[in-house]
Amino acid sequence: MNRTCIPLLFLLLFFSIPQSKTQTARVEGLRENTPGVFVLENANIVTSPGHLLQEASLVVRNGVITALGHNVEIPADATKLDLQGRMIYPGFIDMFATYGIPEYQHEGPVYWNPQIRSNVSSALLFNPDREKAAVLRSQGFVAVHTMPALGLLGGKSSIVSLGEGDASKLIIRQDVAQHMAFRPSEALGSGYPTSAMGAIALIRQSLYDATWYTEAHHAFQMNPVSKRPETNKTLEALAFSRQQSMPFVAEAENEQWFLRAAAIAGEFGLPLWIRGSGHEYRRLGTIKKTGMPIILPLAFPEMPDVNTPEQAINVSLETLRHWYLAPENPATLTEAGMQVAFTCHGSGKSFLSNLKTAVERGLDKTEALAALTTTPAALLGIDKHYGTIAIGKSASFIITDDDLFANHTKIEEVWVDGQRFDLLAGQEEARGQWTVLSGKSLEGARFEIRGSAGSLRGSIHHNDQQVRLTRARYDGQRLHIIFTGDSVGLSGVYRLSANLSENELLGAGELSTGEFFTWKASRTRPHAEERDRSEKQLKPLELPVRFPSMEYGVSRMPEQPDHVLVRNATIWTQGPGGIMENADLLVSKGKIARVGYNISAPRRAMIIDASGLHLTPGLIDPHIHAGIAGGVNETGDAITSETRIADVMHGDNVWIYRLLAGGITSATLFHGSANPIGGQSAVIKMRWGHLPGALLIEDATPGLKMALGENVKRMSERYPSSRQGTEQIMKDAFQAALEYQTAWNNFNQHAGVIPPRRDLQLEPILEVINGQRGAHVHAYRQDEMLMMLRLAEEYGFTIASFEHTLEGYKIADELREHGAGAVVWTDWSSFKVEAYDGILYNARLLNEVGVLTSLHSDNTQLSTRMNWEAAKTLMTGVSEEEAMNFITLNPAKIMGIDHRTGSIEVGKDADFVIWNGHPMSAFTTAEQTWVDGIKYFDRDEDTRLQEEMIQERALIIGRILELSRRQTMQNMRERN
Amino acid sequence: MISGSRFRTIFEESNKIIFLSILACSLGILTNIQAIAQPPAPPQQGPVAITGATIHTVTEGVIEGGAVLFENGLITATGIGIDIPTNAEIIDATGKHVYPGFIHSQTTLGLMEIARIQESTDLQETGQINPNIRAQVAFHPASEHLAVAAVHGVTTVVPAPRGSLIAGRLAAMMTDGWTWEEMTVREGLGMVVEWPAMRNTESYLKDIRLLQEAFDKARRYKVARQAMKDGAGVHHPHDIKWESLIPVLTGEMPVFISVGEIKQIQAAIAWAEKEGLQTVLVGNRDMGLVAGQLAEKGIPVILTGVIAGPARQWEGYGQAYKTPLQLFEAGVDFCIAGDMGAASAYRIHHHASSAVAFGLPEEEALRSITIRAARILGIDDLVGSIEPGKEATLMITDGNALELWTRKEMVFIRGRQIEMRDKHLRLYEQYMEKHRQKQMPE
Repeated sequence: MNRTCIPLLFLLLFFSIPQSKTQTARVEGLRENTPGVFVLENANIVTSPGHLLQEASLVVRNGVITALGHNVEIPADATKLDLQGRMIYPGFIDMFATYGIPEYQHEGPVYWNPQIRSNVSSALLFNPDREKAAVLRSQGFVAVHTMPALGLLGGKSSIVSLGEGDASKLIIRQDVAQHMAFRPSEALGSGYPTSAMGAIALIRQSLYDATWYTEAHHAFQMNPVSKRPETNKTLEALAFSRQQSMPFVAEAENEQWFLRAAAIAGEFGLPLWIRGSGHEYRRLGTIKKTGMPIILPLAFPEMPDVNTPEQAINVSLETLRHWYLAPENPATLTEAGMQVAFTCHGSGKSFLSNLKTAVERGLDKTEALAALTTTPAALLGIDKHYGTIAIGKSASFIITDDDLFANHTKIEEVWVDGQRFDLLAGQEEARGQWTVLSGKSLEGARFEIRGSAGSLRGSIHHNDQQVRLTRARYDGQRLHIIFTGDSVGLSGVYRLSANLSENELLGAGELSTGEFFTWKASRTRPHAEERDRSEKQLKPLELPVRFPSMEYGVSRMPEQPDHVLVRNATIWTQGPGGIMENADLLVSKGKIARVGYNISAPRRAMIIDASGLHLTPGLIDPHIHAGIAGGVNETGDAITSETRIADVMHGDNVWIYRLLAGGITSATLFHGSANPIGGQSAVIKMRWGHLPGALLIEDATPGLKMALGENVKRMSERYPSSRQGTEQIMKDAFQAALEYQTAWNNFNQHAGVIPPRRDLQLEPILEVINGQRGAHVHAYRQDEMLMMLRLAEEYGFTIASFEHTLEGYKIADELREHGAGAVVWTDWSSFKVEAYDGILYNARLLNEVGVLTSLHSDNTQLSTRMNWEAAKTLMTGVSEEEAMNFITLNPAKIMGIDHRTGSIEVGKDADFVIWNGHPMSAFTTAEQTWVDGIKYFDRDEDTRLQEEMIQERALIIGRILELSRRQTMQNMRERN
Repeated sequence: MISGSRFRTIFEESNKIIFLSILACSLGILTNIQAIAQPPAPPQQGPVAITGATIHTVTEGVIEGGAVLFENGLITATGIGIDIPTNAEIIDATGKHVYPGFIHSQTTLGLMEIARIQESTDLQETGQINPNIRAQVAFHPASEHLAVAAVHGVTTVVPAPRGSLIAGRLAAMMTDGWTWEEMTVREGLGMVVEWPAMRNTESYLKDIRLLQEAFDKARRYKVARQAMKDGAGVHHPHDIKWESLIPVLTGEMPVFISVGEIKQIQAAIAWAEKEGLQTVLVGNRDMGLVAGQLAEKGIPVILTGVIAGPARQWEGYGQAYKTPLQLFEAGVDFCIAGDMGAASAYRIHHHASSAVAFGLPEEEALRSITIRAARILGIDDLVGSIEPGKEATLMITDGNALELWTRKEMVFIRGRQIEMRDKHLRLYEQYMEKHRQKQMPE
């Protein structure tokens, strides 16, 4: 960490102290010289998490703690404050805030994309906000780490004190960390990027640009005859931050974003702090392994609405589980040994009560305090002055009336760098019992004031009778009371008001006769929160761990048996073996070991009797869009080859399970079709329960989505708007990719040349041209496909496949000659003009002519019944084995995974489905689905899981109802 | 409702672009549509006997090796050893199967050519109250999708207007013919009511008030016109909307109420009961959750979208497929409709057979797209089974008609043998010819 600004820190600290002798600002008017010397006596001081000094004293001099302990020498000039046993804790530090940063930021960036603003410095934007500071102090905070959180790389953070004074006096440290987020700010325009994958691509590109910027300028210095590289303050700031190893703070909306942020940090070697979400418990192990500090909000989900049966059935188990488990997240993360700091981001005024809830749900009090004091202080590099109570440290602490984490405890004072803030001002307690000492006919009357602080109720007891008050309200200045006196032996309406102090009401009143009088009352019983003592502490619910934490999530990752022997099945090998009746399949360590007859079982093999059942390769869908976070299309530009589906996959998608139930074991996840050149695809296996990264088939041929026709040309205000323009913009991109290659060749061959910028957009296009990446081209009409074939041929590459390919049958000969695959629907047509000539015979004709043909769904639901899609091609005259190839081997070839899967052949991955009948019968469903020799779906297990989920839902809903009941009872008690 | 899958396609292709420059494209379509299909079949000439087949009568069991005789468009005899007139054309269907034509009771077929082209659709009229609309008058005989349905054995369809609280009157149509008029099997089957969404109480109550007002006004109109007819000496001018609601008020014409969630189902039942209407409910999977109540009240159900994903995350993967079984076991009078899309009307049998995969008895699946549908639609005197006296609207197949691989070899609609050609086959043959000319391997 960069410590160069520590001396500066000292100065700033002293600036911020009232009556400081040194300051650069000119004094206007009279100088103020109020002493700032205090001794706080009889205090129980928690000096740091886990360390308590009982009945000790604390001396504060000009904002700094100068003495601490049991027998401290009391300075003669000190003002004495007797704390009467109250507690003192170190003040809290919020690790993630936008406090004092205006929403509109004047200091604009200079990078081409406004979402990249690394040059923006919060220290220049910071403008203290008294109201917001007061809210933060009310939750115990004395300092915040504040950032210009606008855009994707928003700029540099500062640490600011929550005291009062000029900005320059409040800034503790400036340019502490760089901000990072993945949701583009709409305030900066609605252009590129529009998607999460686009956001990641842009962040990566700008980080590469920053590296290039330094290298390019260095090369230029060495060799001034070259062309001067651009001057760019944003890249300069980003490069400088990286050279200084300045940490980045990434906003991660959920645990998957946590891991995505961690991956970027890994790629660029960034020190990273992650502002989490509260979902981290769902993938604790992996999250912990990153070793990254987490800044944790304590915002807990609202209670799901399950009041009516029809509302309840619309609430998912995922939502129910998260509602119950979220308050345990802080305990879970600290117990796991993660470095945790808290932020009140997202919880605001509920922060303290949520903190107490987290403690009730298992968070260790010492850990909790550390997450608010020592941990943030250490991370932020201000631990010499903040985070603990010790001699020489800033007098920044909080005073409470009892144990900080107890429910009834209030923070009474917050001291910020020696400035004292009384939190109880204006918060006088009106509730309790008051007895009127003087006041005409009221003398001897008792007022019982109840209700909640914001909504008071009460009654008057007088002459052995009582009546409810018509009105009881405290407005911060006066207590107002109105009642009708007739039923307590008085007459008419009494209108009273009084000044409220701790134990006395000093009031005025008027009778209905118009007579004015004064009255006085004293507190005869303090207010006590009424709780039904008979209510027992609720026992924790026993919820199983689930991966993912939702419906059908697995409690334990399914295991791979050493050997599996499937006996007596009708095996559709989709290989040279053809369809084998009464055959056996032996799987060893996840691979197909033997296919044949009467195979003897190895020792301890798992044996499945599949008599009367069919076994096929796992089905493969070469085109879906399921489980993609933050947008399937990057619509911000026509060419978005820099986007990568693999960056934004999320494995906690129940569709993965449903696809397994339909026999799907592999699929390609594609970028959408809004762009002539879209993003990079991801080829996955349905390893339900695992994280997205573990779903990828790493040796699949990488793919790039391209698109032609209606979808690309109807994007308003963007080139192209015709099929002709589509050809030209693609050609332009191919040409640019070749120029890019030339630039690198030139750089590699000649010393002293300014390096080309690494271009994430052109690299994948170049890979396509060089045959290292497959082009998968969305197309409907024959003319656009023919254009694409010729374009590819001009640049010397082969189209891997056309996608949808509705008019493929019209140019099957051309496709075959070129060597392009055809990925088609069985029977989708006529939903738009270019789909009008879609025919049922498309697959048959393409296959007949010799084009590598595959079916696809482009639709997650359709994908769950690809066997039925294949069955429909049978009636057009396709043979059974060929129809099965359409959903197994052929897509495997198109995706470049046929060396791994797609047929039942020795050496391939054991991806297979056991069906309860002919796999293409409309009456058949999958019994079991296996991936890598691991059973991920079983029909019987599914039945069991469904019952288990009904019970789990009932358990959580029961807890919601019990809590609602208690809340209702509590409200009723307060009302009475 | 547009079929969910169709919408999803568009969405998944591009989640931002929904609309298309209609102007630019409409010209192209018109020319495209005019390149139409094969001519409709002529009326039946002499008697026809299909012999040696497995006849799935649907109402009278399965007759192995039996015959069906039909004349002038009507079935005259079925069974083993029936008398076959000497002048009858004999179709030897040994080893084949004969089924009644399939009935698709909720479709856009004939009213929509290309989903995204508004000019090619006639599904929705302006305003919320359109009881006077007659679906059949825009039924487009030249639609390419009609022949596709017909050659796959879908012979009777109910194209449904939509998009209004009261969307119009339904008619059963046959899928082959020269004009909408001669293709009308029966008109005035029912009045389409779309139950309003119940997410927002305010807008829901507003819609309900509109619906209620329409029925109240129609009732006042009925009284006044009756008085006029009865010679009360008063004159009340004709009202085209309220006039069309009179058969609904008298119970001659049922309301077909589209519903979704449970709240809507129960609200619709209560309303229709209060109004004393004859009711058919049109809905999907949540029908299964109230199956017992539907059976108890004897309300018939047209079940749409059997082939669908679960609506809720916790639901089983087969929830939608299991709904027919739930209705059947509860004793609900139901039939199965396929997806709404015109181009996919041909695959109605798949919706029925997928329910078999999830437990519905096979014969019930077959009944759910034949006789059950005919009864709910009120056309079971004409179609829906193979019985003497009914129309000879039937098909010959090479196997189980519910299986996706089965080929429909001949289809008869009212005795007329239709040509087994559609756009799919035509384009296939045309482009096979292209490839033949280029001497590609066959």
